[in-house]
Amino acid sequence: MMQDQKSKSNPDEWVELNMGPQHPSTHGVLRLKLKLDGEIVKDVEPIIGYLHRNAEKICELDYYCDAMMYFDRMDYVAAMNMEVGYLEAAEKLLGIPPPERAQWIRVVMAELSRIAAHLVWAGAYGLDLGMLTPFFYCFVEREKILDIFVEVSGSRQQVNYMSIGGVYQDFNDKIIAKIEAFLDQFPGKLEDIYKAFINNDIFISRTKGIGILEPEVAIDYGVTGPMLRASGIPYDIRKEEPYLVYDKINFDIPISHKKDNLARFIVRFEEMRQSVKIVKQAIKQIPEGPYFNPKSKKSLMIRLRGEGEYYARTESPKGEFGVYLVGDGGVKPYRIHVRSPSFKNLSVLPVLARDTMVADMVAISGTIDLVFGEVDR
Amino acid sequence: MLVEIIEETKGKDGRRILKVAKENLIELMTELKKQGFNHLSLITGVDRKDKLEVVYHLHNFESKKYIVVKTETLDERVPSVSGLWSSANWDEREQYDMMGIVFEGHPNLKRMFLPENWVGHPLRKNYDLKKVQYINMDEEGNDYATFDPGDGW
Repeated sequence: MMQDQKSKSNPDEWVELNMGPQHPSTHGVLRLKLKLDGEIVKDVEPIIGYLHRNAEKICELDYYCDAMMYFDRMDYVAAMNMEVGYLEAAEKLLGIPPPERAQWIRVVMAELSRIAAHLVWAGAYGLDLGMLTPFFYCFVEREKILDIFVEVSGSRQQVNYMSIGGVYQDFNDKIIAKIEAFLDQFPGKLEDIYKAFINNDIFISRTKGIGILEPEVAIDYGVTGPMLRASGIPYDIRKEEPYLVYDKINFDIPISHKKDNLARFIVRFEEMRQSVKIVKQAIKQIPEGPYFNPKSKKSLMIRLRGEGEYYARTESPKGEFGVYLVGDGGVKPYRIHVRSPSFKNLSVLPVLARDTMVADMVAISGTIDLVFGEVDR
Repeated sequence: MLVEIIEETKGKDGRRILKVAKENLIELMTELKKQGFNHLSLITGVDRKDKLEVVYHLHNFESKKYIVVKTETLDERVPSVSGLWSSANWDEREQYDMMGIVFEGHPNLKRMFLPENWVGHPLRKNYDLKKVQYINMDEEGNDYATFDPGDGW
């Protein structure tokens, strides 16, 4: 029946439909131009740029230390990971390495931020598929992480916690106790959330076997992160090109060979469990010592000069986050280019959504984990 | 490798950089893809004032090798590699939008973020930030740019 319909369909009779940019299932301001044959999607053209601020240009107009606050606003649900990404490039270019204590602190914060980002995704994905309850469970847990962020930086989302050569504030016993209290109760809660999804028949039928992404296609389109790992390729920058102190920490990269929506869901949940494992190890190993490099005092910060170019890759919750930094010997960056993983992952949507139902396309675009601050920059 | 390479250096980040003339770019890229560089990680344009530099980052999933290819252009034109890697499609559109690099042979060279009639390319060093442009929507739902703040709704 389906085959029959396909062969009969005439491109002239396809209906053009505009979806977004203010559509609740597009996670922000994604606009899709759909070509429909009945309810079957024949062609998708994503149109982006509605949240475009040209952060790359704004960064060029400011000092090296000021550029970081624009990175907070790229992937705004995982600001810590963005800061780690920028500082990996900036510190190497300027020649101001962070002390060991700061590196461990950064690992703790980046992994907590990864958990928070995945929780936002899981909750929002539930909403895409019509599940309201898990959303609240996810956000309750996320709020506990944001409380920790408030404790260290004073801000919930746009934390601006790290700085060139270290971190803004040292860990004290209160913060460590808070993180440990979170780690004690979180794994149990995570299993509850997981069960709320996985025991739901509707959720399984909406995700299983839908949105198959072949590994060759994924590589060809530059897809990275959980999406690539759910297609069976164990590619994670934390293992591939370890930054900070990830090479001293024992953790696994979860992969799945099922390639569908459900695989991406399972991979992200397994990643949260691995992040808990990382934070548990890291919090015990934070060494004593200074938490910032003396060369990066506030008064000296605006005089930092960088020359040459540096490309740093880090693993953000969405995938491979790269920062290409060029300096011309001045106090301001000459050029910053950001390789944003969501941008690359979105480009594969037309392939994934071809010949699926409109409702399935929403389920597929949900698994990409789009954050428009980062796609549009 | 048979392709003529101008210069081979090692970057600050320890990555191999190949500098190539833009006439030989496609030949080199085809050769690299044959060697297994199946992941084009990013395309960047750098405005060096007198010339535009285009940087390609390639990655090989099997051998875990990483390579950087650089080329320069004086007339804003560079051959497109979107026939070799699908990910180049959006990357090149982005660089065209922001840097004004025209990728010859690209199947759909439209602006990625900004409206089609936007004046100038923002990441160029000679872009005038003082000239404010406003974005509006026409009857069809498509965006357009205008210098007139009172235009539209």
